[in-house]
Amino acid sequence: MIEIKKVNNRPLNLLERIYVWEIFKGFLVTARHFFVNLFCPGKIITIQYPEITRPLEHAAKRRTRHRLKMRANGTPKCVACFLCATACPAFCIHIEAGEFTSSQVEKYPAVFDVDLSRCVMCGMCVEACPEDAIAMDTEVIPGGVLKREDMYLTRNKLLQNMPGDPSIKGAANRLA
Amino acid sequence: MERLKPFIALLDLDLLLFMAVSAVKVGFFLGAVMGFTAFLTWVERKLSSLMQDRVGPNRASIFGFTLLGLFHPIADGIKLMMKEDFVPARASKVLFTLAPVITLVPVLAAFAVIPFGNYIEILGYRVDLVIARLPLGLLYVLAVSGFAIYGTFLAGWASKSNFALLGALRGAAQMISYEVTLGLTLVGLMMVYGTADLQQIVLAQGRLLFGVIPAWGVIYQFPAFLLFLTAAMAENKRTPFDVVEGESEIIGYFMEYSSMRFAIFMFAEFIEIILVAMLAVTLFLGGWQIPYLGEAGFLFPCGRSIAIHPYAVVLAQMAAFAGKTAFMCWALMTLRWTVPRFRFDQVMKLAWQGILPLSLLNILVTGLVLLLAGKL
Ligand code: SF4
Ligand code: SF4
Repeated sequence: MIEIKKVNNRPLNLLERIYVWEIFKGFLVTARHFFVNLFCPGKIITIQYPEITRPLEHAAKRRTRHRLKMRANGTPKCVACFLCATACPAFCIHIEAGEFTSSQVEKYPAVFDVDLSRCVMCGMCVEACPEDAIAMDTEVIPGGVLKREDMYLTRNKLLQNMPGDPSIKGAANRLA
Repeated sequence: MERLKPFIALLDLDLLLFMAVSAVKVGFFLGAVMGFTAFLTWVERKLSSLMQDRVGPNRASIFGFTLLGLFHPIADGIKLMMKEDFVPARASKVLFTLAPVITLVPVLAAFAVIPFGNYIEILGYRVDLVIARLPLGLLYVLAVSGFAIYGTFLAGWASKSNFALLGALRGAAQMISYEVTLGLTLVGLMMVYGTADLQQIVLAQGRLLFGVIPAWGVIYQFPAFLLFLTAAMAENKRTPFDVVEGESEIIGYFMEYSSMRFAIFMFAEFIEIILVAMLAVTLFLGGWQIPYLGEAGFLFPCGRSIAIHPYAVVLAQMAAFAGKTAFMCWALMTLRWTVPRFRFDQVMKLAWQGILPLSLLNILVTGLVLLLAGKL
């Protein structure tokens, strides 16, 4: 396991400058690690990620895979204002606006893609959104896929209300 | 047909038999070495990961079976073959193509004189278990391994890339320095055993010192063992002596190489590990000798003896040689992952101010002891 070691920077003595004995000591350290890990592989702390996950703790929970919230009538809450795409430092949000003909809302996102393979999970898009339409609270950690397409979220994959979400009930949503 | 007759007469049965047996030996020994090399590429990745508390390669699978990642060498091979075979526009094509070959051939040629067993008698025909038994085998190994530098330097020179050239220059300086010392570290050993024939050296290591201790080279010449290992590792150009490559700074002499051409360099490096391990085993760790095991079975110093069939003895000795080689490979790899890279000035200082004087001192002391013991 990793621990902090205080290094004592004194001048080297003769035995250390000859180096052979020191190499041998180092050799024993690496060999010990090798045999311990060889015979009890359970001690390796690696997590075989996509197959095995562990519950997220603390702040790590706050920014996970994106979702787009929906109004009570099922239309996306997003008004295609492009603020999130502008704020995004990784340029990974792609929006194409569509127009409502009979609604108080002018626009809706006809296309809304988030390329998770570029996203840095910074949460700027959530901060920027004036409509509180995009959120990063699905608790799904992106990554660990075999195909590029699986990292590319389209509108239909994004549109998702969480159980008990206020937008379902219609509260906190001025247009619903 | 008439004109061919004298030549056919020349090809008598003995010669044909000799050629056939040699071909079988070459096939067997080099096949084993090549197979072990492919295995070593996997071992190195797995070994380094285990030392660093990681899991290592474990994803390549055939029908869902991963076998601890044993398929990764195959995956690596397929990947390397599918890569673009790139030759820089300004590179000199002939030398660029020749360099990997010149790197690989001497390394393989050096295996010719390494004894991997004593001898077997098949139907009264004596087969020495060494591809070519040369009276000056040790010098042959040194001479042939001296060739490796041409491959390194030509690769760097022919690619017409500054970084590659820098790597080649470093490589030339390092390999020449350590070749001198590599030869000198072994002089003491030749003095002790009085021969440069590797088979003779191994046979001499079967004797007993004071009737109990096996007379292995590592006991007569322990300092030379350490010096030889250091020099040999430097010849091999792997960490801690990998300023030639210096992955984090200049990539090295094979920087412009891709696909299978690069693979040959990598393969040569791994074969060289085996060569160094086999040399260390042959010269210092008793070669194929198993302590107290003679041609007819075990003969312990306490007087007990166990008779074993000669064929079983030879097989056990070959297995012992393989086992010792595998152990040395493991030790070399563990060292490689233990010691950080030396700076270039440190590499040079170690060669000329460390190993060279020490090996000369070793020769002097060995000579003195031999003189006093009346063996000269
Ligand atoms: S989290 Fe950051 S990088 Fe990812 S989409 Fe939002 S703004 Fe872009
Ligand atoms: S900032 Fe909000 S409303 Fe504007 S486009 Fe992005 S998600 Fe839609």
